[in-house]
Amino acid sequence: MESFVANKVDEYRAGRISRRQLIETLTVAAATAYTAEGAKAAAADPTLKIALVNHISYTCPDFKQAADWYSRVFNLDQIGASKTDVALPFGKKGEKPYGVTANDVPLTHLIIRTRDLDARAQNGREARRQPRALINHIAYTIADWDSNRVRSELKRLGYANPEVDGPYSFHVVDVNGYDVQISGIGMTALAG
Amino acid sequence: MENFIAGLVSQLDNGVIDRRQFCEAVSVAAVVYAAGADAANAAPAQGFKPIAINHISYACGDYRKARDFYSSVFGMTPVPQADNGREARLMFGPPPGQGGSFLIPRNGNTTPRAKAVVDHICYTISNWDEAKIRTALKEKGLGDPTGRPGSLHVYDPFDYDVQIANAVEETAFRR
Repeated sequence: MESFVANKVDEYRAGRISRRQLIETLTVAAATAYTAEGAKAAAADPTLKIALVNHISYTCPDFKQAADWYSRVFNLDQIGASKTDVALPFGKKGEKPYGVTANDVPLTHLIIRTRDLDARAQNGREARRQPRALINHIAYTIADWDSNRVRSELKRLGYANPEVDGPYSFHVVDVNGYDVQISGIGMTALAG
Repeated sequence: MENFIAGLVSQLDNGVIDRRQFCEAVSVAAVVYAAGADAANAAPAQGFKPIAINHISYACGDYRKARDFYSSVFGMTPVPQADNGREARLMFGPPPGQGGSFLIPRNGNTTPRAKAVVDHICYTISNWDEAKIRTALKEKGLGDPTGRPGSLHVYDPFDYDVQIANAVEETAFRR
């Protein structure tokens, strides 16, 4: 997209297209560029193609305390609590995930747990391997991004000086010191 | 959108922004436009309303291995201009700016600093076909997955637990 815009700017500056033509061309391009990109991606082999994050499994010393933090900050309901875990879906039962049209893609949810990740093999299951990778933060897209409102709300939640990460993001740490990024929808893989 | 771009052209003409700033602003505007208007009216009175996972930051010893694994096995789409030799961006799900997500494999420290850890991510696969999925996993060199029908676990090249599932076996409301 950026190289296309750059070419049009050069044409405009060289007098090959008018100001009106520049505006019209960029308006149409901006409105269609990423829809076309999405359609192209959807054409790939679908057998193992990921549709969405189903859930994030978050393990910590006190799952109730962490779940309360995520409920308070993100307005998430707590569903199906057991002695060791609870689920926090991004919406209500029957709702579709944002931007998803398929009927077999459920709402993303967090599963917040307390468990021993180093437990030995049991019940026929092999022991968990020790990962050599780390998910060091998760970024959440929130509705209705407004930097000033987000900053003010973070302050109310006890984060007076959240780390700014570009025009569409702040970082805070949760109750376990885990890095949580709060982003607007303008923060994408292509920009932001 | 047209008024917004016309305003940017005026700023470009008047030297308020340079060529690079102009190009970036139009690109970002395109992404935000693609998000549609409905996302703009849903904020709760207090706190925030998450509508999607924006991105997952994945630190490992060699981001290229992770990049190649997640793109070749699970169909995530690399963004060529975002690959800087230390990290990459892989898109999946809805289009960018419309609820889409991305994974950022990056070279980095893998020692947890927090008291919590994200021990696995589960991804939904639409139009789940158990036999085809198991065959495809084998063809990709991932062998027999653990788990149960409709909800399978494999390991990525850094022994990170990756779960794939359908909507029947893995939904918050099934609990």
